[in-house]
Formats: sequence, structure tokens, C-alpha cells
Amino acid sequence: MIDFIKRASVVALVALLSAPALAATQLTGAGSTFDNPFFSRAFYQYNQMHPDVAVNYQSIGSGGGIQQFTAKTVDFGATDVPMNADELNRAGGNVLQIPVALGGVAVSYNLPSIHSGVRLTRDLVANIFLGRVTKWNNPQIARLNRGTKLPDLSIVVAHRSDGSGTTYIFSDFLSHISPEWKSKVGTGKSVQWPASSSVGGKGNEGVAGIVRNTPGAIGYVELAYAIENHIDTAALLDQAGDWVNCSKPTVAAAAASKPNITAQDFSIVDAGGRRAYPIAGYSWAVVYRDPSDKNRARVLRDVLSWLVGGQAQGIASSLNYVPLPASVQRTAISVIRQMSV
Amino acid sequence: MKSYRSRRIADAVGVTWSFLCAFLAAAVLLIILGYIVVKGAAAINWQFLTQLPHPVGIEGGGVANGIVGSIITVGIAVLIASPIGIMTGLYLALFSRGGFASTVRFLSDVLSGIPSITIGLFAYALLVAPFKHFSALSASFAFAVLMLPLLVRTSEEAIRSVPRAILEGALALGMTTFRSTLRIVLPVAWPSIVTGLLLAIARVAGETAPLLFTAFGSPFWELNPTNPMAVLSLQVFTYAISPYRSQNVQSWGAALLLVVAVLALNLLARVLLRTRIRAAP
Repeated sequence: MIDFIKRASVVALVALLSAPALAATQLTGAGSTFDNPFFSRAFYQYNQMHPDVAVNYQSIGSGGGIQQFTAKTVDFGATDVPMNADELNRAGGNVLQIPVALGGVAVSYNLPSIHSGVRLTRDLVANIFLGRVTKWNNPQIARLNRGTKLPDLSIVVAHRSDGSGTTYIFSDFLSHISPEWKSKVGTGKSVQWPASSSVGGKGNEGVAGIVRNTPGAIGYVELAYAIENHIDTAALLDQAGDWVNCSKPTVAAAAASKPNITAQDFSIVDAGGRRAYPIAGYSWAVVYRDPSDKNRARVLRDVLSWLVGGQAQGIASSLNYVPLPASVQRTAISVIRQMSV
Repeated sequence: MKSYRSRRIADAVGVTWSFLCAFLAAAVLLIILGYIVVKGAAAINWQFLTQLPHPVGIEGGGVANGIVGSIITVGIAVLIASPIGIMTGLYLALFSRGGFASTVRFLSDVLSGIPSITIGLFAYALLVAPFKHFSALSASFAFAVLMLPLLVRTSEEAIRSVPRAILEGALALGMTTFRSTLRIVLPVAWPSIVTGLLLAIARVAGETAPLLFTAFGSPFWELNPTNPMAVLSLQVFTYAISPYRSQNVQSWGAALLLVVAVLALNLLARVLLRTRIRAAP
């Protein structure tokens, strides 16, 4: 009798533990918050099509993603800036970096009575974030916005307080257009903000919150975020002298101006193309070239190949990302093929 | 000497002031509860309680996997922490003498002061990084460490409050120390110990910080504790900072579930304590 109970409980235990193993392979990934809406939707779709594969992605930020990837606690990381030489070294080299998503960074503002179409030149954006221009009714802004009554309001700069790929793209843009920014502040996932009245917020949602609640605030958030939260965004002047809003076509134009990117040469800010929005960038998945578990590696390779392909990029487009240009898709596929499985 | 009148005034001011402070302290809880109920009630329906999370942009979905995940992680934590905590309480209350006991007591007090995120990192370093795998077990371990000092304290108090005469009576009738502890002392102290356990559960059920690098979260059904798992408090956190309104609403809903669960545990603890007081005249 006792023997029977023992046997039955073992069977029950095995059944309990194997019940969730509907998904024969569970992959985990971590990193960029920017990628999260896209990834969660895409991997859900993939699981519907391949019930034996479940991809669990958690958005802990680009920096955290690189760290967990380096600690090998996840199968892949995701970051809005490719890993640099230092980070690659720490991960033991042999890392493949694959462009998987493309998006724009919108300059958002809060002016109580003005809800659309504030125009800013690239220099002016730099001067505002340098703390040179401190009032909304500054003549430099007023000259660009005739017909709009700008208030006598102090400008509050809202920025990310955490290490962020969005900050990297935005500071990269400022470094491109302002030598002073480049020498004084530079480009990075977190930088020293020089403007005297500046406030930090955690994550895109933190910056958006500050902008929403502070009249006179200006900040930078990813396009999808600005659209979902109905935050006003500024039009910027592109290199050709046209006013461009942050939108899917203008970000696509920026990407089209540089069809060949690599993990070392990836910046598409201040792009030269026609009607190209000047603040945009790619997000990257990072994987090991030679993972020890070949079964998982094969599944991961299939998932990533699908992710950069037409169907998944269509999902991205429906969520206000910009689909990867064909040339970048080809680059991505050729990198994925280097995985040894 | 001050006049009677001025003393009456000082008295009135003092009483009013302390009443206002007491009111404020209670009001904070009521405001938080009310706000969560108002914001969260809209999210709660049958689907919310029984379905898996939907990805962003697809309406609906629920937090069923988080509810189950919370029960599993906290359940395993109870299994780990309660034997250790109760036995330690027993030792401190009945068998300890001198320096070692006060050292244990002191260390357990210090442990209760350590921020939960630190304990989460400890669990990460001990159980996640070496195995290269996030797991619900590592979260349970972190929870257990958080519960331990509470359990030690409440068990010790509970057992200490059993009248010494009862134990001595049992010993005088020839019972061994082992049997009298097991059959006489523990049953009398049991309701208080369980109360402490419930309060410890309530304490950890809402913790998010120790989960970030242990349970990790998951959008799928997961019953295997060696895999990453969704937990309700973690879902509150991720949904709250999501750019999507529908997830923000679900975050309030999940917060409401958590608050109701913790409140229920607290009430249960009080009922248990009351029956004990009535049963021990």
C-alpha cells in the first residue's frame, strides 16, 4: 500500500513538473525597454505558430540586458547600442550583434496652449540641452515659430536618469551637430546634463511623466511612447532644410541614407537623406557565436531569423517601429548564419 | 503654578493634536486602499483572473499565471522558512542559555533590517548566477530569507508565552522533554505561530525588489519552480511602467488583488489570535 502511494506520488510529481513543458524549448532574453512592445508581441505570435517554442523576454534596460547576457543567465540580450569593445571583452568575445528593430526618438514638450508644430532647428535643440536657451519666448525660438504665441516660461530639460540606449542615440545626435556638446558632454548611455534646470526620470515613462506634468518641460522619448501617450512632439529641421516630424516615413528616410550598417558603424543620427528625421537608431540582439547547447542554439537561430524577416517586421510596423530596410535585413541574416549550431 | 484654565486648554490642544495624528495615520491607509480600489476595480473580471497576459496592443488578457506564480513562490518559501524559523524560536524560548541565544536574536534582528533588494541580489549570486538560469526557486529562497527573522521572533514570543507550569506539569507526570514540547507546548503556542507565519507571508507577498533578478517573470504558464516564473507583484511593476494604457489599468487590477490578499491574511491572523485568546482563559 505504502509502495503504491509512493509510486503514485512520484507519477503525480512527474506529471506536475512536465505539464508546463508544453513548450519543449523555453528561451529567455533580457534587455532594452524600447524593444519590449515589439518583442512581446512578436514572441507571442511565434508561440502561436510554434507551440513548442516559448521565448520569455523581460525588459530590464539595455545595460541590464548586456550584464545578464555576459553572466550567461539569458540566451540572448537586447540593447539599443551595440556592445562596445570593453563589453565584448567582458563577455569573452565571440558575440554576434544583430540589428532587429529601428525607431525614432521624438523631442517632446509641454506648452500649455500649444499642442502642435513647435519647430526647432538642430542647433537650437543643442543650445536648449546645453542650457544656453532657457526661455520658451527666446527670440531664436520665436523666429522659427511666427504666428505662435510662445509663453514667457522657463525651459526645464527632462532626461533619463538610468543608463539608456535612448540617451545614447540622443547624445550621439547632439554630438554630431554641436562641437561644444561633443567636447563638453559627449556621447553615452548616461551623460552629465549641463543645463542648469534639468530633471532626471527613470525610463521612457519617467521622462514622459516629467514632460506631461511640467509646463515648460522638454525631453526625448521613443516615438512609440510619444504616440501612445499623446505627448506633443517638435518638428526639426533636416539637413536639406525641410521641417520633419518624428514619424515612420521620416525615420525610414534616415535609415535609407545609410544602407550598410555594422555593429561598429551603426549611427544614423543627423542623416543626409531627403526628409530624414535626424534622431533615429537601431536596436540590437546579442547572442554567442558558439552556444554550448546546440538544440537551444538552433531554436534561437530560427527565432531570430524570423524576427528580422517580413512577418515580424510587419508586426513592428503596426506598433510604430520602422521595419528594417532590406539591406539591413540581409546584414542581419548574414550575421545570424554565423551562429554555430 | 499655572491656572486650571490654561492647563485645560493645553490638555485640549494635546488631545486634539494626537487625535489628528492618529486620524492622519489611518487616513493614509484608507486613501491608498480607496485609490487602488477605484483604479483597480475596472480591470478585474473573470478573464483577468483566469487568462494569460496578452502581449501589448492586443486587448484583454489576465494575470492568472502571476496569481499561480505568487502562490507557488510564496508556498515554497513557507516550506523552506517555517521549519527553520519555528525550530529557532523553540530553541531560543526553551533551551537556550546565555551569549549564543542573544547573538542569534541580534543577528536575526539585523537580518530583518536588510533591504529586500539586497536579499534578492544575494539569491541571484547564490542560486541564479552559478546555474546560469533564472528560477522561481531562487525567488522562494529570497522570500524565505525575508520571512525568517519575523518567524523567529513571533515563534519565540509564542512559545515563551506558554506558561512554564504546563511544561513542568507534563515533565512531572513523566513525559520526556521531546514529547512534552511536541504534544503540550507546541499545540498551545500553535495559533500564535501560525499568526506570525501569516503575517510573514503578507510581508513577502507584495515584495517586488527581490524578484527582479530571481523569478525574472514570464508571459507563459509555468508550474516548474526551476524555470523563470510570473509573480503578481512583478507584474504590477512591469505593467505600471509600460507605455500602454491597457497594461497600466491591469497593473492597478493586479495591485488590488495583492492588497486584498494581504488584507485577508492580516484579518485571518487576527481571527486566529482572537480564538487563541478566548481558548486560553
